[in-house]
Amino acid sequence: MDEQFAMEVEALAAALDQLDYFGILKLPQTATPPEIKEAYYRESRAYHPDRFAAYPDAAFREVVGRIYRRVNEAYTVLRDDQKRVKYAADLNGPERAQKLRFTEADEAQVKEEQKRKLEEQLGQTPNGRKFYAAALADLQAGRLDAALRALRSALMYEPGNARFKEHLAQVEKQLDQSRPKGDSFKIK
Amino acid sequence: MSDEIAVGIDLGTSYSAVAAVTDPGGPPAVLPNEWGDFTHASVVSFLEDGSVLVGNDAKKNIITNAENTIYSAKRLIGRFFFSDEVKKAQAVMPYRILEGPNNGVRLQVKDKVFAIPEISALVLKEMKAIAETALGRPVTKAVVTCPAYFNDNQRQATKDAGRIAGLEVLRIINEPTAAALAYGFGRDISQKICIYDLGGGTFDVSILEIGKDVFEVLSTAGDTYLGGDDFDDRIMTWLADDFLAKHGLDLRQNKFCLQMLKEAGERAKIDVGRDGVADILVPGICQSPEGDVVDLAQKLTQDQFNRMVMDLVQRTFKVCDEALQSARLTAGDVDAVILVGGPTRLPIIRNSVRHYFQKDPMTGIDPDQVVALGAAIQASALLNASAAEHGQASYLLDVTPLSLRVGTVGGFTEKIIEKNTPIPIEKSKTFTTSRDGQDRVKIRVYQGESNKADGCELLGEFEFTGFRIGYRGEVQIQVTFEIDSNGIVNVSATDLETGQKTSTTIGLSSGLSAAELEQAIDHNAEMELARGPRAA
Repeated sequence: MDEQFAMEVEALAAALDQLDYFGILKLPQTATPPEIKEAYYRESRAYHPDRFAAYPDAAFREVVGRIYRRVNEAYTVLRDDQKRVKYAADLNGPERAQKLRFTEADEAQVKEEQKRKLEEQLGQTPNGRKFYAAALADLQAGRLDAALRALRSALMYEPGNARFKEHLAQVEKQLDQSRPKGDSFKIK
Repeated sequence: MSDEIAVGIDLGTSYSAVAAVTDPGGPPAVLPNEWGDFTHASVVSFLEDGSVLVGNDAKKNIITNAENTIYSAKRLIGRFFFSDEVKKAQAVMPYRILEGPNNGVRLQVKDKVFAIPEISALVLKEMKAIAETALGRPVTKAVVTCPAYFNDNQRQATKDAGRIAGLEVLRIINEPTAAALAYGFGRDISQKICIYDLGGGTFDVSILEIGKDVFEVLSTAGDTYLGGDDFDDRIMTWLADDFLAKHGLDLRQNKFCLQMLKEAGERAKIDVGRDGVADILVPGICQSPEGDVVDLAQKLTQDQFNRMVMDLVQRTFKVCDEALQSARLTAGDVDAVILVGGPTRLPIIRNSVRHYFQKDPMTGIDPDQVVALGAAIQASALLNASAAEHGQASYLLDVTPLSLRVGTVGGFTEKIIEKNTPIPIEKSKTFTTSRDGQDRVKIRVYQGESNKADGCELLGEFEFTGFRIGYRGEVQIQVTFEIDSNGIVNVSATDLETGQKTSTTIGLSSGLSAAELEQAIDHNAEMELARGPRAA
């Protein structure tokens, strides 16, 4: 065990609570997934507790253990795309100091966000989802009238759904364009 | 520190093995006993003279001394008395299973009562004795393996077993991870590998990415209720049903006949795997009411056997699907498949694995020894402080196989640490008091994938006291859950405002209390292992 490494460990342990996950893995915020993995391996080689298992100083082993647990924590968050996006956004926000560690509240928020997106995509009510799915199928097949009816029905169940409304407007516009203008009602 | 040695022990459901690295940096070797056996039945037989016989000789006593011979104890380790596995064991095992304190499991042999870790400790003691004889020096340190899918209770109990046997357990490592280490150590390869580990009583799959010196477990999945024993069971059932139809006698009614049947089932499985057909003959398995001695004679073909066990084999691939999905890989991404465990010698397993991964499994790896070899490498690395400087180090980056949860109101649970998270790891959660003047907070900790408490395994109930007393919602207690490198869970709590550590007591745990553990250590030290001429 060389002196320099012991000092590095001490300095890192003291700064641990001021570092964000990118800092712990010694990475820029733009790091790619392969870079994250490589950094994780590099830090593992340095701070893996097995390296110091035979080292007699228990206090030192505890410090290394604390660092390595944080390395694992950083890797767990940064390798997960959704968590990483949320974490990076928080870091660059105004509450940076409170957001250095990814807490259970953040995790719940990520989950909530995912759920919301999914619901928005598919609708919140069973009937809304059913009609919306039918409308998409009709659109795919080019049956504009049927799609229009299905979207209107879906909106009956979920009047506030922005996505449904957006689709409806599109379909109405398309129908409008496809109708021959002007002379369609002319009686010859 | 070269005068010290640590061994690696594969503590299996049916068979165990011990290995060591004799010169640091050198290759590991499995240590044979005096008769040249490399694997030893995990069977403990209590003899008339008060001594204890462990290993392949003890296995013979399953029939002649059934009530005092314990086998497959690993199936019961770390389980609660009310679990299904224990109920099943009570029906089929010839030894007596009792309820112990805190819903624990105890075994009664003659007039003595043993906890399960005490039985496993006797197996470990035998492994220790084998290593000491083979190496010609005392052995006090070991790395012990357990199935990757073992939960905290089972790991803790395995660790206790080591302590009772007089071993300092340096680490509990996962069997598939150990196998991967034995495969990749010092080979400087970069691969994604799959370890398919079908043991006597458990099934594990781990997907690893191995580099020069880093072994990263990407995911692990398993089934602690599936193993080679279940294959034997199928043959037994078939034999017994057939016998019942022919002679009107049910062999399962008599525990003596049942053991003969079990042995015949195991041998038939091995024969059919090796020769493609098994001739089963057990002369005089039982007596008819008229007093005639009846033999059991049958022929089992490969086809018949394959049909019997096909659903079990398919179950293993559901587990493989799960592991691959967690690792975000497909079967085609796997560079090498390594088979571990005796039952993987069966052609049906080899063929199915080849079909599933579209790849021949690795050859030249002994499925019975590879786990012990990996454990020995890890044991040697943990002892050798200077390995890192000499570039001999290898780092196991393992994961927790099960999600860690806390119980919430209404019998539900909330996830704290996701499965397949790298360990060691810690995570905190803040709890507040719900009543004015509340002086204690209780939480229940679970492991499993269900959001209902019933669907998870209870690890224990923790009670925190010694924090400030205030109005409800005012006192915040931060509870930290830590999973260490052994996969064992530690829980601690602090008062958020004062930073004061609160005291923690554990209730409702299936494990042994400190006092019981001390007692067991003394008890174990007194017990003599039967040695000398190969007599049962």
